Amino acid sequence: MLEALDAPYLQRALLAGLALSVPLGLLGCWIVLRELAFFAHAVGVATFPGVVIGIALPGVGPFVGALIAALGFSAAVSASETDHRLRGGTVTGLALAVALALGAVLLTASGAGAAPVERLLFGSLLAISSGDVLRCLAGAAVTVVALGLLRARLAATTFDAGWAGPAGARERPTAAILLVLVSLVVVCALPAVGSLLVSALLVVPAATARLMVARVGPMLVWSIVLCAAETVAGVALAQSLDLPPGAATALVAGLVFALVAGGQAVAKRIPRPVAT
Amino acid sequence: MSTTPTLSASELSVSFGPREALTAVSFELSAGTFAGVLGPNGAGKTTLLRALLGTLDHRGSVRLAGRPAYVPQAGAIDTAFPVDALGVVLMGRYPRLGWRRRPGSEDRRRALEILEQVGLSAQGRMSFGALSGGQRQRVLVGRALAQEGDVILLDEPLTGVDGPSAAVLLDVFEAQRRAGRTVVMTTHDLAQAARVCDRLLLLNRTLVADGRTDQVFRPEVLRRAYSGELLLIDGQTALLDDAHHHDHDHGS
Repeated sequence: MLEALDAPYLQRALLAGLALSVPLGLLGCWIVLRELAFFAHAVGVATFPGVVIGIALPGVGPFVGALIAALGFSAAVSASETDHRLRGGTVTGLALAVALALGAVLLTASGAGAAPVERLLFGSLLAISSGDVLRCLAGAAVTVVALGLLRARLAATTFDAGWAGPAGARERPTAAILLVLVSLVVVCALPAVGSLLVSALLVVPAATARLMVARVGPMLVWSIVLCAAETVAGVALAQSLDLPPGAATALVAGLVFALVAGGQAVAKRIPRPVAT
Repeated sequence: MSTTPTLSASELSVSFGPREALTAVSFELSAGTFAGVLGPNGAGKTTLLRALLGTLDHRGSVRLAGRPAYVPQAGAIDTAFPVDALGVVLMGRYPRLGWRRRPGSEDRRRALEILEQVGLSAQGRMSFGALSGGQRQRVLVGRALAQEGDVILLDEPLTGVDGPSAAVLLDVFEAQRRAGRTVVMTTHDLAQAARVCDRLLLLNRTLVADGRTDQVFRPEVLRRAYSGELLLIDGQTALLDDAHHHDHDHGS
């Protein structure tokens, strides 16, 4: 295994995976705390029509196409969810279905074939390019700086938006910036883990961290650590068993969550000794 | 005590679509005043506070000298949010933090002082969600104190709060008033307002009465605001209507 680390493709995979762990872990915490897990899943899938258009149009490319689609999706969901008659992810579900249908129609019309779609859906951490790695590093840097500056505002608005607004931390711009960051990081992560599995790394490590600690600071740290460890374990598993690395990483993350949640459920059932 | 108004409204009106929630409310409150805002459900008490804070579109004018601090009704808070009592109080420093919005050691020292003030110095590291309802409300008042506002707006801060916590909070409000701050509290409890407030604003979509307890707590004035409504007086309810009204003279 260690000799395999000399292989450039594996070095790129680990560098991209570790770089992505930071923004995925940080953003994941706010996604979990703000109950945006469905949105995080949807925004990845909603890049589908953008990728198809990006591949079909010379000079655009799948990254730019996916980014425009993700930002457009976020803006549409954000603008429509102010209608109180359509709460609870209704607009997200609707926009997701439309994006998938549009992608399928565009794919047929463009005649691009199934290969780019498969790569979009599942990614391939072991096949990513140096350009993909640079995009991961840039996305990580932007997200870390933005979330560092936004942390107090995010905490205040997530905890109590009714107080935060009059105190100077308005919810709508805060939510809009968060959705832009999610869109950016999801698109950076697409070549590595794909649109179907990116939400696994956005949500599962943060959800596991939420079970482990009771304050935001440690939750952010644990979320990054779990995301990085699960990515490395997923890549190792994929190398050893010849599995798709994105799927292996998502399965490892799910297993860790199940172990922590199950362990806590068992611990709760064990009666504690009564002090005498 | 200064008589310059720190909080004033002139012809303040708020509409939600075609419905007029507040109409032409005018008053002035000076520093060192503890004002109670009374009125039946739907009278516009919360709307008034939000208009004073500038978070609602309104007609007329509002003047708030200095900085506001605010305690909203507790219902919209995410009690599962992973934060301890000290962390919630520290949130109150948000408007005072620099562009990086990172609380420093002075903010921390002030937050610890405030926790002591609200009687929760031993609970500082306890998760907010694990606190009792009364303790949570003390923490939320602590967050408002950390704002160090000149005008403190409290939206039903004592509703559903246990007796000991209510006593602590009333002491805190009185201390703020003595320190020269303007305290405005909405409440359904008329007797409590009569005991602790030195000025009462009686609302029912407009300002029905404004003055001291003996000026506001008059049967004909209360009937204009509460006709046919249930009143909460010292934790007990009494029906006030034309046929069976109970007059409660709390004149001082």
